[in-house]
Amino acid sequence: MRRSPATLVAGLACIILLAACAGSDEFEGEFAGVDLAIPLEKPDVVLTDTAGDVYDLRAETEGLLTLIYFGYTNCPDICPVHLAQLSQVLERPTMPDNVKVIFISVDPERDDPARIRRFLDNYETSFVGLIGTQAELDAAQILFDVPLAEREGAGDDYTFGHAGQVFAFAPDGFAYSVYPQGTRQTHWVRDLPVLHAITADDEEAE
Amino acid sequence: MQFWCSTIEVPWTWNFRAYPGIWAMVVLISLPYLMAMRRRQGPNSDTSAKTRFFLAGVLVFWVATDWPLGLLGASYLASAHMVQYLLYTLVAAPLMLLGVPEWMARQMLGRPSVHRTALRLSRPVTAGVVFNLTLIFTHSPWAVDTLRSTQFGSFAMDIIWLLSGFVLWIPILSPLPEMTGSQYPVKMAYLFLAAGVVPAIPGGFLTFATFPLYSTYELAPRFHSLAADTDQQIAGLVMKLGGIPIVWGTMLAMMMKWMAEPREAPVPTIQAG
Repeated sequence: MRRSPATLVAGLACIILLAACAGSDEFEGEFAGVDLAIPLEKPDVVLTDTAGDVYDLRAETEGLLTLIYFGYTNCPDICPVHLAQLSQVLERPTMPDNVKVIFISVDPERDDPARIRRFLDNYETSFVGLIGTQAELDAAQILFDVPLAEREGAGDDYTFGHAGQVFAFAPDGFAYSVYPQGTRQTHWVRDLPVLHAITADDEEAE
Repeated sequence: MQFWCSTIEVPWTWNFRAYPGIWAMVVLISLPYLMAMRRRQGPNSDTSAKTRFFLAGVLVFWVATDWPLGLLGASYLASAHMVQYLLYTLVAAPLMLLGVPEWMARQMLGRPSVHRTALRLSRPVTAGVVFNLTLIFTHSPWAVDTLRSTQFGSFAMDIIWLLSGFVLWIPILSPLPEMTGSQYPVKMAYLFLAAGVVPAIPGGFLTFATFPLYSTYELAPRFHSLAADTDQQIAGLVMKLGGIPIVWGTMLAMMMKWMAEPREAPVPTIQAG
């Protein structure tokens, strides 16, 4: 069967437009992040904040939606992208208030409190920075069930291989999902209000 | 070493990166052209002016494709991606077309079937539709995120852009007179609609989008702290406004040519009386 050029062009146009519209987000689980098979209770970690004060993670963030990330200020790629994404997402008017973003440095050698503060202030002054001794940081990573950050390279320009996911703890104190590298703003905007609505009262009611 | 600029996941630095595939492509485009022109050079030929146009077009193609702009557009900034697109379609393609003499174009379209296809493509409506469908497809999130992630995909996108630029300009600048037969008002209307009005629609879409559309640029290490949504807004503005000087400049030139065309004097009517 011989088709006219107009039919072919119209068919081509349809294919192109369909391809142009393709690629919408679809999520397999309840959340846009990676669902945890067993929800993780917020670990009992005590570190030092950028003001030099003791920071009891559970006590300071009780009842709040809390996003926790292990990184370091010299991180060239993943950490700046995660923090930039979060600062932009949390500026949106539809996002819940009182979301705590906590950055735990895995580089106690170079990251002093002032340096962490300067780094976080590039994104959002309300972000909390925490640091501790190597032993405290190792213990914290074990409690979060992530591999210990590993120093890579020699000299002053060393980097770290470290956990790249953000832990999102709902106000009830549990993380149901983690957000790896590649999490998009649309994912955060979808999940944060859902997570914010999970409170301890809900569980008691159930 | 990579042969073509594509998405990489390392922070941007101003350290030079070599892309030999791009250099090879520049040579592959220029060398046969220069050899053919050299063979045809004669005392009355206008080869030098045409050669300058063609080489200027190739130079723009090179600048748009190679480091730094090529890498920024493939990996870091939607706005750089848009600047690349404008350079390919509105600068490199018309300059290269201006540099192709009629005899060379006839040689390139040697087969009757190829000539017939080119003739069909040169109709303003067809050319406008093909150009804008290519624009929409190559700026869709799926196409950008998929093609830019590999060297071959990125290469394909750059070549598609250059070819779509040829399609846009053939009804106006083709070296073959049978392809530029429309009157100046038709050509002006065509250029205004195809390159001025329609691209403003996806440009507006980018500018006013609620979220970053392209994961390539949203998740890239930041270029000098430029936020992904700001970058996308700049990209939209570049698409909407970047082509204005070229499109309106060309329309003005066509208008002046049209005004300068000799017109037939009105035939005096003899009234009976």
